[in-house]
Amino acid sequence: MRPDLMEILVCPLCKGDLELTATREEDGEIIEGSLHCAACNETYPIEDGIPNMLPPDLREA
Amino acid sequence: MTTTRTADEIRSEVAKAYGSRVRGTLLRADEEELPLAAASCCAPSPASDVSCCGDATTTSGVSCCGSETIDDVQITNVAKLYADADVTDLPSTVTDVAFGCGNPTAIAALQPGQDVLDLGSGGGIDCFLAAKMVGPAGRVYGVDMTPEMLALARKNQAKVGATNVEFRLGEIEHLPMADASVDVIISNCVINLSPDKDQVFREAFRVLRPGGRLQVSDIVWTKPVPDEVKGDMEQWAGCIAGALLESDYLAKIAAAGFVDVTSDAKEYPGGKGIASAAVVATRP
Repeated sequence: MRPDLMEILVCPLCKGDLELTATREEDGEIIEGSLHCAACNETYPIEDGIPNMLPPDLREA
Repeated sequence: MTTTRTADEIRSEVAKAYGSRVRGTLLRADEEELPLAAASCCAPSPASDVSCCGDATTTSGVSCCGSETIDDVQITNVAKLYADADVTDLPSTVTDVAFGCGNPTAIAALQPGQDVLDLGSGGGIDCFLAAKMVGPAGRVYGVDMTPEMLALARKNQAKVGATNVEFRLGEIEHLPMADASVDVIISNCVINLSPDKDQVFREAFRVLRPGGRLQVSDIVWTKPVPDEVKGDMEQWAGCIAGALLESDYLAKIAAAGFVDVTSDAKEYPGGKGIASAAVVATRP
């Protein structure tokens, strides 16, 4: 995902703002990292360039 | 028979069904040389061995809304739906997994610069078509809950070279999108799969900008859903058991706050009352 998308990306549960942590970037794109919602203390992983914004109970489905 | 399944069970079954459908294509997407849309589901395809929406569904195991049958009802006209769309330059790994019942981008009349959200973006076909229409000043977001689909969509994106498309794993009942962030929401034969359609429409309303448009294709019933169909998960994943009566579908959209809700439903042959509906609604 591209970092400039942060402005429209929100927590799927509480719609709160997310804080981005990038652990691997390529060509201005975040390949691995995470998105943290301070409001509900939930963390969403970014894997292979795709933010996993599934609610936690569905993540392993 | 009535359904006793929970919403989570339904979601899990649907994700599993679509994950397994895409796995073969996903493996193939890693190979270097791919034929261009030769065996596509929704483009004209003379001798396709992988047909999602035509008659050859029993051998392929790749099916969409088309293969599931109710007695003698076969949904067969889907292959024509992309006939007018510009899919010839899309790889077959895009078109093979286009399990749609209509082509919303053909009717959505997208304008350059618009931001578009595709609910249930699958392998990405509608996103890539939409991306062409909105151009570099616009953005297309694809949300899908099936990891295998998203992985394929990413690979397809690299092949297609669409830089104004973003995919994310998510549920259409819990969209990870800010309020009033897009101009148009498209969705192609997906909302029927949701166990909570009211919430899907509420979320769609929330993320649309005022004046924004919901323009989706979906399977609906034009007569009451037979009881024996309702609890059948195979038919749920096949877009039939979860489909609503057309009037109920439109009522739910209106209940979410949309105005000017219209539908053009075209019934599939067989007289069972299963139809593909092109639905349009506006957020005031």
